[in-house]
Amino acid sequence: MNKFVEWGRRTMLEVKHLKKTFGNLTAVDDLSFTIKDGEILGMIGQNGAGKTTTFRLILKFLTQDSGEVLWNGHPLKKTDYDIIGYLPEERGLYPKVSIEDQIYYFARLRGKSKKEIKPLIDGWMEKFQVKGKKTDKVKSLSKGNQQKVQLICTLIHEPKLVILDEPFSGLDPVNADLLQKGIIELREKGSCVIFSSHQMENVEEICDHLVMLRNGEMVLNGKVKDIREQFGRTKIFIDSKLNQNELLALPGVSEVSRTTEGLSVLHLTDPAYGQEIFNIVTKDGYIPTFSQMPPTLEEIFKMKAGDLHE
Amino acid sequence: MNKFWIIVGEVYKKNVKSGAFLSMVLSPVIIIAVIGIVAFFVNSSSEVPKIAIVSDNQEIVQLLKTDKKSYKVNSKITTTADAEKALKKDDIAGYLVINESKSAITGEFIKTPTSADVDTTLMLQTLTALQTNQIASNLGLSQEEVGSLTQPADIKVKTIKFDGDKQQTNNDTDTMIKVFGAYFVSFVIYMLMIYYSAIIAQEIASEKGTRIMEIILSSVSATEHFFGKLVGILFVCLTQIVAYIVMGTIAYRFGKSLDFVQNLMNGIDLVEILKGLISYSLIFFILGMLLYSVLSAFLGSLVSKVEEASKAVTPLTFVIMIGFFAGIYGMGSPNAPLVKIGSYVPLFTPFIMPFRIANDTVSSGGVLTSILITFVFTGVVTYLSLMMYRSNVLVYSDTGLFKTMKNSWVIMRNERIKK
Repeated sequence: MNKFVEWGRRTMLEVKHLKKTFGNLTAVDDLSFTIKDGEILGMIGQNGAGKTTTFRLILKFLTQDSGEVLWNGHPLKKTDYDIIGYLPEERGLYPKVSIEDQIYYFARLRGKSKKEIKPLIDGWMEKFQVKGKKTDKVKSLSKGNQQKVQLICTLIHEPKLVILDEPFSGLDPVNADLLQKGIIELREKGSCVIFSSHQMENVEEICDHLVMLRNGEMVLNGKVKDIREQFGRTKIFIDSKLNQNELLALPGVSEVSRTTEGLSVLHLTDPAYGQEIFNIVTKDGYIPTFSQMPPTLEEIFKMKAGDLHE
Repeated sequence: MNKFWIIVGEVYKKNVKSGAFLSMVLSPVIIIAVIGIVAFFVNSSSEVPKIAIVSDNQEIVQLLKTDKKSYKVNSKITTTADAEKALKKDDIAGYLVINESKSAITGEFIKTPTSADVDTTLMLQTLTALQTNQIASNLGLSQEEVGSLTQPADIKVKTIKFDGDKQQTNNDTDTMIKVFGAYFVSFVIYMLMIYYSAIIAQEIASEKGTRIMEIILSSVSATEHFFGKLVGILFVCLTQIVAYIVMGTIAYRFGKSLDFVQNLMNGIDLVEILKGLISYSLIFFILGMLLYSVLSAFLGSLVSKVEEASKAVTPLTFVIMIGFFAGIYGMGSPNAPLVKIGSYVPLFTPFIMPFRIANDTVSSGGVLTSILITFVFTGVVTYLSLMMYRSNVLVYSDTGLFKTMKNSWVIMRNERIKK
């Protein structure tokens, strides 16, 4: 992304020192982050880390103990409800209502008229490849298709603030792809999107910004690339003729593993050894792969979540 | 406000379109129609029972024959033996054996347990008149003397009411209309609320178990949602009432020329009754409907799942029944202490107070006080249900009623302290 464009963006949502307790349990503790317009924020964390609570605090379903949530610099008001698109964690639609009527009802609750929404439905149904006619009852649809209808309900009124709680869960890779495209499209229209996910690939691919929660505390906050870099390039993917023991004997290597593709993975105690190792393994000339990488988001996630148990 | 009406519309549409609503509106109509048809056939097919009269005095037989409404006399049978035979064969419904002495006429009506009922009052009257005349002529009394002798004593009941220093005399029609109004109010509240208490509780609880609620709550406030649902259902109820009024008017227009209806309506002034209804009765009706609707909403907002709603509303159904029967009891004994106290208990006011008004056992001040108490109580319950609804609308626990209540209370207090 162009640095200039980034500077030009306005901060839309500001979460400042948010804290919420339920009795003895601290669900969210001192959480702060900001989202500019046209930005996607991914929120990761284990079950019970406080993601849904955070969403509910932003949406004012719950009242925080301290801290504040600002939208465009002021607390979220009733009049701001119309610009919100919210997809709750578990899906909920009226089973006996037709797809069409379902979409109309939720859109009207967001201040749109039936007239405005009517011409849009077909386009959205096509975009998400919903199987079924718009006059079909919701209960006649498969679970995946119901989820897509729910997504249409969440997005059809072109919300400025989109909150998606686990939008990818239960979607097959093809549909997950459609959803990713949909989210990126929203960003291009200038909406800010927050979503939570367990699937790190989705997060890595489309997030501009990442927040990781653990037991209500923020353990990671920043751009995905920066976060990965801050852990250092401690892994080298290598395609080499050296055997396991020879690789383990290289300087700074603490552990050697193999990927399913047949690459060896060297785990370094310090990224600085990279240069030295490169010189050693290439002294006989060409090797097809030498890639020094920071840990993947999934590894970071597991690492950070693992800290908990120490 | 706009979104409030969207919810009202949606709730209204959903409920009015449902088959349950249609059957609810039509079932009493169908029942009444069936009863009407049955009554019509019973009326038209019932024959005047045949009897026989055994008497030496043909004058008496002729006199008794003049009444053709209650029975028909078979003149061919003149002896007890013949009459007994006919009765055995079920040709006649019974026979009257008349014995005359100097001073009295006695009759004996013989029938079988299975024979058709014969009204013997007219026979008795005829025989009494004959007897009186006979005795009078024996004593040599003139017609006037007989007249004054048979003149019964008369007691007229006049109820007066002390309203301050003024003394008021009650009008009988007025009382009749008030009594009718009281029955009407308690019966209609009873009928409607037995149905609607469950519907309201279910509607209020309907989205609670689901995530639809979260989407709705990110669009509108819980307050708007709560009142939207309540008002939506009240409109459904209003639709039902209007449907009955329309059906009643149409039925009356077509039916008023029928003998059967005219008999029924004989002595009832419809306009006066309607006028009577639009007074205290209407106030108590509206108040009662609101109170019980709000109570149902309260119970609906306590449960965390729609399946529990009908269970939660059961106690209320009992309260409505108790109120209804207390009202009927109050009609019989309007001065019983229980009735007096009950008429000020908001839950029972709409049922009992109209009967006390009809019986004139309560002053205008008392009536106003009870209206005020009920009104305030309704307001408090509304506020409480709204609070409960707002605090437990997003509680997903499957725990019982009391635990939910406790949870809601905790949340409510927490949220309020922070605000």
